[in-house]
Amino acid sequence: MSHLELKNVSKSFGPVGVLHHVDIEVKDREFVVFVGPSGCGKSTLLRIIAGLEKATSGDVVLDGEVVNHLAAADRGLAMVFQSYALYPHMSVRQNLSFGLENTKTPRDKIEARVAEIARMLRIEELLERKPRQLSGGQRQRVAIGRAMVRRPGVFLLDEPLSNLDAELRVTMRAELAALHKRLDATMIYVTHDQTEAMTLADRIVVLRDGRVEQIGTPLELYNRPANRFVAGFIGAPHMNFLEGRFAGGEAGAARIELDGGHMLSLRIPVRPEGEPITIGVRPHHIETQGGQARIPATVTLVEALGPETVIHAEAEGQPRIVAALAGQRAITSGDTVSLALDERFLHAFDADGRRVTEGEVAEEM
Amino acid sequence: MSDIPLERGAVSVSTRRVGTRLPARVIVALICWLVIAIMAWPLVMSFLASFKPEAEVTAVPPDYLPHSFSLQSYLKVYGYQAGLPTYLFNSFMVAFLTIVFCLALAVPAGYGLARFHVPFKEVLFLVLLASMMIPYQALLTPLFLMFTKLGLTNNHVGLAIIHTILQLPFSVYVMRNAFEGIPRELEEAAIVDGCSPLQILGRIFMPLAMPGMVTVSLFAFIMSWNEFLAALIFMSKETAFTLPVLLTGVIDSFYGSVSWGPLQAGVVVSVIPCIAIYFLLQRYYVSGFLSGAVK
Repeated sequence: MSHLELKNVSKSFGPVGVLHHVDIEVKDREFVVFVGPSGCGKSTLLRIIAGLEKATSGDVVLDGEVVNHLAAADRGLAMVFQSYALYPHMSVRQNLSFGLENTKTPRDKIEARVAEIARMLRIEELLERKPRQLSGGQRQRVAIGRAMVRRPGVFLLDEPLSNLDAELRVTMRAELAALHKRLDATMIYVTHDQTEAMTLADRIVVLRDGRVEQIGTPLELYNRPANRFVAGFIGAPHMNFLEGRFAGGEAGAARIELDGGHMLSLRIPVRPEGEPITIGVRPHHIETQGGQARIPATVTLVEALGPETVIHAEAEGQPRIVAALAGQRAITSGDTVSLALDERFLHAFDADGRRVTEGEVAEEM
Repeated sequence: MSDIPLERGAVSVSTRRVGTRLPARVIVALICWLVIAIMAWPLVMSFLASFKPEAEVTAVPPDYLPHSFSLQSYLKVYGYQAGLPTYLFNSFMVAFLTIVFCLALAVPAGYGLARFHVPFKEVLFLVLLASMMIPYQALLTPLFLMFTKLGLTNNHVGLAIIHTILQLPFSVYVMRNAFEGIPRELEEAAIVDGCSPLQILGRIFMPLAMPGMVTVSLFAFIMSWNEFLAALIFMSKETAFTLPVLLTGVIDSFYGSVSWGPLQAGVVVSVIPCIAIYFLLQRYYVSGFLSGAVK
């Protein structure tokens, strides 16, 4: 059992507030990812959980017990650092057994545990090597092994894949997901990469400027972003934001006039005419054929990726629209296309960036 | 950050190429040889002169190369007063104690300054370094009076304390830089692994700061080994002298003339340990010096 709660946690360094009233609950065996742009406070939050940093106010509750004043080593947590932080002067074996030696575990038990972990992570033949003789992926495994060896209740991972090249990152991501299933442990993972967050997480916590923007499953965040920030952060390529204003309509079906003169009909409550609104549409929900609202646009850039074609286009009043079209298209830069937005998947945000369509947009299947 | 760049400096120095065109390399090589020749000349002369018989050493005009081989000078140094072994032992003992004291004080001090929040830490550090500006000769008289009362004169420990005082600011400076060069995440990993601050120092920081500690030891050794004035003042018994004091004693000949032969032999004997230790620790020393310099 490892159930973690952060209650109203705030942190400031001198006059600078880094975290503001953060409330998060992490259930037993859950894989939770903290995601957000750099400087959003996600690493600080992880360090507060680890006990490397003290919260200015609020509580860290582990299995029902407030652990604010417990030293890092006594919290039953393990941490994997971004730089791996392997002890350079120790062999892999010594790195793995170091934590157990400090807790006065009997020698034979340490050896058995190290052997087990090494087998599990396929690093048996590396045990006598020094960290500098290992490749990036191997170091990463050792770092994870060092965390595993103490059988912690909660694993804290601070951007563990950010030092690996793209290919290895994908492999390690899959290994990490498999490991989570096998270990049946609670994991808290920090990253700025939304793809990592989407692929690994049971639930994602989106942070910005020290505040929780939204907590939810990856698809909840994708389908119902609570605000413009989350909408723009989750999903690749990023969501398009088209500026416009209310232009009448009837109950439950507002008419929106986008800058540039295009009209849309949205199932959201009608607001006074002229009130500004931002329409969010994901690149995958734009087509060049069919659909309801058609916006003539000039293509400025074509990215032919094979399975899909991403086009960047300019329309009147809308400087940059990105569309991800399925398959391969005969479109070149400079062409004029007619962009059709799929009205079932439009998101609307008010002037403060809050979602207006809450509960009224169809789920994507 | 994946590579902890402890030896970065050392590697880049050894692989650097000086000019690929031949003339430039020849010129650089010539300059190097010239500098080496100038620096080595007195040592070579001392070495050659130490094997000359007495009459030949004092001959006017002097001959650079010895015409006959003699160990006369070495024998005289060996048998001088309490005997060379006693002085060698004294020098080694004082140097060894100086190293021990310097490390025992500079390692925790450097650790504290590098890794702990100490109020007015930078000011403290500057005050510490500022003490290097005071000429120690000015302190010797009061120190002598104090040490006499404490029974620390004619005593290895006493002289080692003086040498430690002289060497400590530099040692703390080097150790602080060495510890600051160690990534913070290593310290945090050790904290999560259940280490106390002292265990972190002993099991993580000290092994990683080995080049810095070697640098401190080397400088402490050379300073203590060569230091003359304090040794002369604090060691007033002939059995307590260190090598530099012996060297000034051994040159006194009859009627104020200088006995050059034994002096050269003494110089050779006293230089050997310095060279030996330097060669032994050279690898650490260079990387330690750079890791302190570039951080």
